[in-house]
Amino acid sequence: MKETKYKVEVDSLTKYFGSLHVLDNISFQVRNGEFICVVGPTGCGKTTFLNLLTRIYQPTRGDLYIDGQSANPKKHNIAFVFQEPSSIPWMTVEKNLRFGMEIKKLPKAEIDGRVERIIKLLGLQDFRDSYPHQLSVSSEQRIIIGRAFAMNPDLLLMDEPYGQMDVKLRFYLEDEVIRLWQELGSTVVFITHNIEEAVYLAQRILIMSNKPTTIKEEVSVDLPRPRDVADPRFIEIRKHVTDQIKWW
Amino acid sequence: MKETPVLSSAEKKELRLKRIYLLLPLLSLALLFLLWILAATGTNKDSFPSPLAVWERFLLIMKRPVKDYTIFGHVLQSLRRIFSTLVVAWITGISFGVLTGWNRKADALLSPLFTAFRSVPPLAWIPLITIWFGTGEGSQMLIVYTGCIASIVVNTQAGLKNVAKMYLDVGTVFNASSRQMLFQIAIPSALDAVFAGVRTSTSAAWMVVLAAEMLGGKSGVGFLIVRGMDSLDLPLVLMSMIFIGVVGAMLAVLTQIVEGVLCPWTRKKSA
Repeated sequence: MKETKYKVEVDSLTKYFGSLHVLDNISFQVRNGEFICVVGPTGCGKTTFLNLLTRIYQPTRGDLYIDGQSANPKKHNIAFVFQEPSSIPWMTVEKNLRFGMEIKKLPKAEIDGRVERIIKLLGLQDFRDSYPHQLSVSSEQRIIIGRAFAMNPDLLLMDEPYGQMDVKLRFYLEDEVIRLWQELGSTVVFITHNIEEAVYLAQRILIMSNKPTTIKEEVSVDLPRPRDVADPRFIEIRKHVTDQIKWW
Repeated sequence: MKETPVLSSAEKKELRLKRIYLLLPLLSLALLFLLWILAATGTNKDSFPSPLAVWERFLLIMKRPVKDYTIFGHVLQSLRRIFSTLVVAWITGISFGVLTGWNRKADALLSPLFTAFRSVPPLAWIPLITIWFGTGEGSQMLIVYTGCIASIVVNTQAGLKNVAKMYLDVGTVFNASSRQMLFQIAIPSALDAVFAGVRTSTSAAWMVVLAAEMLGGKSGVGFLIVRGMDSLDLPLVLMSMIFIGVVGAMLAVLTQIVEGVLCPWTRKKSA
């Protein structure tokens, strides 16, 4: 155990698949309660990067630390929001929200309390006994996001959760995520290829390069919330990030 | 004043088609009945009983039961036989299907055995079963068992082998134990496949029970048909056939309703 002021530390993470060099020496830190967006071109190894964070893959070199300890899914609480809607069709909204906590065998009173809070925050009171297929796509995605936040995760990973949604829904759900994050103080790493989305959400943006992937630049976004996409400073940051992705 | 809806010609056509589609099945039933009447007239009179003869036979068996049972009694006897067998088949079949569908070693070890057993049609077991165990109640149930076990096993197996990776990933992310993976993710997600097995095994059992009862049974619709054949009582045969068809259709509908109640998420979105 090492002394640290960071919640999450990624230390020279490197991954080879055979001779294919996918990730090269990625290092960054996340403070407790911080919201970070990772942007990069398609095929830049985002998925591999995430799978390393969730420990589905082991890194070739380097490591990931949570609270100064090597990340361990048995001990640490890492929640994940998948790209595709991943609500569980045979469970009602409420059961979906309880699901992760029940797997972790949390005490019932604790689960009840957290679920009530999330249901209220997401405005899902009327739908608690509905099944996911009876809801709209946006409500379904809200369940998944609620399920992840309900875990009180040490680290919440989101993998392009709004990739398939239209503009209006995306704005709506982005605000929702910000609200949950501010309310619950989780630490979030949000992966996206949508630069505007990254500038809208993040406190800090990590720009990834092409393979072998490394972190090209860190951009901190200190705009006040709620952010205005037409604000000249917003546009300036967005342009800067875009240029960084365009020019290798 | 009541507003009369203005319909485009396409909408009118759709409305007309909808009515036609409602009507056509009734028409086909009427046609069947007509064919029956035609077939039962003229020279065929003795070899093909008319609807009236069948109806009279039905009234007769209600008044004078065959072997202590009216037609409904015989239907109930057959139903009792298949359901007591089905319960055993479902318990053993689902357990076997879950085991071989989930555990690859068990699959490699046991599935070839099962495939060998399954490739023999259930009716081919009848001679051996009859010689070993006679024609009593136990043998009849054993024959039904051989007839319905395959579909429940195969469907359960397929359901557990094809659990969507997404759900397993969700389990992995929440760090579910392998026990939780099986009981909280894999089995629930396979339930619709299991139910498909329940449905097909029920209809298979209903078919095979007839064969079982035809061989020296003392009750049931299969017995009734053979009794009719032996005594050249053709109205009895035809009446039994009609009951078998109707009950078979009712079983199909019933299992579907039960599935809808037990697995509400499999119901269509429009519901």
